[in-house]
Amino acid sequence: MCAFLLATAFACTSHNAAQPEGPIARVLTDDAGRRVSLPVKVDRVISLAPNLTEIVFAVGAGDRLVGRTSYCDFPAEAKSVTEVGDTRTPSLERIIALKPQVVLISTSSQLEIFTQQLQEQNIAVFVTDPHDLDGVFRSIEHVGEILGQKEQAGLLVQKLQERDKAVEDKVKQKPPVRVFYQVSAEPLYTVGRDAFVTDLIRRAGGISVTADVPGAWPKYSSESALATRPEAIILPTGGSMGAANSAVTDALRQSPAALQGRVYKINDDHLARPGPRAIDGIEEMARALHPDAFKQ
Amino acid sequence: MITSSSSEMFVASPARQNRVTLRKTVISCALLAGALLLAIVLMSLIGSEQLPVRPSLCALASFGTTPCGLTRDQFDILFQIRLPRILLAAAVGGSLATAGAAYQALLRNPLAEPYLLGISNGAAVGTMIALIYFGTIEWTRPVLAFTGALLATFAVYRLARGRAGATPERLILAGVIVTTFLSSVIVFVTTLMDATRIRSFTFWLLGDLSGTSKSLLPIAITITVGGALALTLHARSLNLLMLGERDAFDLGVEVGRVRMVVFLVASLLVGSSVAASGSVGYVGLVVPHLARLSLGSDNRISIPAAALGGALFVIVADTVARTIIAPRELPVGAITALIGAPLFIYLLKRV
Repeated sequence: MCAFLLATAFACTSHNAAQPEGPIARVLTDDAGRRVSLPVKVDRVISLAPNLTEIVFAVGAGDRLVGRTSYCDFPAEAKSVTEVGDTRTPSLERIIALKPQVVLISTSSQLEIFTQQLQEQNIAVFVTDPHDLDGVFRSIEHVGEILGQKEQAGLLVQKLQERDKAVEDKVKQKPPVRVFYQVSAEPLYTVGRDAFVTDLIRRAGGISVTADVPGAWPKYSSESALATRPEAIILPTGGSMGAANSAVTDALRQSPAALQGRVYKINDDHLARPGPRAIDGIEEMARALHPDAFKQ
Repeated sequence: MITSSSSEMFVASPARQNRVTLRKTVISCALLAGALLLAIVLMSLIGSEQLPVRPSLCALASFGTTPCGLTRDQFDILFQIRLPRILLAAAVGGSLATAGAAYQALLRNPLAEPYLLGISNGAAVGTMIALIYFGTIEWTRPVLAFTGALLATFAVYRLARGRAGATPERLILAGVIVTTFLSSVIVFVTTLMDATRIRSFTFWLLGDLSGTSKSLLPIAITITVGGALALTLHARSLNLLMLGERDAFDLGVEVGRVRMVVFLVASLLVGSSVAASGSVGYVGLVVPHLARLSLGSDNRISIPAAALGGALFVIVADTVARTIIAPRELPVGAITALIGAPLFIYLLKRV
């Protein structure tokens, strides 16, 4: 028994010593301003956020994804990748057991302490923190560079930029629609200054009535919501969140938007995930806010 | 009835002294009720949106029958959002303070408080179960919250009773055990829920009045008023119980029955307030103590005074919570804890 325990202990230590695999030759600065040392060739990567999983697949490196969170459900192939827990409490043990060379983290999942623990295990951690569409493009380029898919990432960004430009061309002549973006009805949450959705709304020919509120996802006063008198209300719902958030909050029942039937349900996965599908979100919002601009 | 008549004989409180107490109760309650009414009106004028003062006062005076020149939006802000929330704050504050005062008298413990004893957590677990399994049926929330509060009350009471009786330290320790146990139940249940619901729950657990439900408001107010009256009617028995259960029994108090009534009514009060607003902490500690410090420890005065004072306290605390970082909001529980925790430390040093 003792011998067995000793043997395992030794196996563990020797394994740990061999952890830094391959030469460390690259240093990239992530969105948190950290200088991250990366192996030249990355064969094993774990994503701890659904948007990052989507980006890994979109740049053509899905086959190198060895771990994902339970919320990472797109594309369909992602579901066959090993789960390491949810975005809030992933299992450190399972992550280490999967021997990733890089772990991709989104600050929105608040895993700062985790980062420290992974670094102690000699696993590189790369943090992304997009606050607008350009930030999403930067995340795509970073992930592409980390995984040696720079060219594909570049092409993807270019394609997405063209789609964004096409929307902009259609809506730029229209007066922006004043939008209330309801993250949840009870308690009432909306998007503030730091949320990347605020930028998506602007690109879709709208203007968020809460664009100046500090923070990314502020809890918002009902009476202030009523006083904003939005022309349109966007309910992110129907995606992986299911039917939650499909009714307008009480305070906005009598708003111009609700009275004129300008309440739009848009797939929350396209709006809440700063990944490639954010462009789908922009297109869907633009069509809802400016239907006449999209008539043939 | 037997209780009160027999106790009168034994405590030898002359009729004149009773009249003095009655007069003191009526005067102090009238003053507090006046202050409460004033607070309701004044706090209706404060919010993240500016409303014109004169027309608002005029509309309030007409009980919402005439707009008095307020725009439609301003009128809705005042009567659909602000006033219901203020009334709920009053109901929650009144309930928690009354329950706190009754627990303190019954358990002969100045530190007894629904939040600190884990009773609010019991109600919170009940509410969570209602939200998860009967999400659409609103009345299940107060019912299960009441059940949870009652179970937690009995658990704490049983745990606290040692050979030497329920000492303050033992009671607080029992409260800590029940609180931490139920907190882990809450953590476990929230982990099983999906991410979007967690956010609303964590906010609600801190005590939050922003989701004021119009259908639960009348129930909450009825329970507060009814509960405060019921406990005030038992105030004389509680006075005698403060001498000790043995002595109270010798003086003719039906100890078992009174204890049961207080547990049931106080659990109902805590359950309805937690179902409406989550766990607002320290109200049941701060308010009864202030009532006793200023009006004396006669429960016939301190219980109704705590009910009115609790309403006043939470209305003011919630006005701070909804305006201090407007248009964003804080949970009201953060404000009451900010005031209550230091007071708790002060009281702990005096016990």
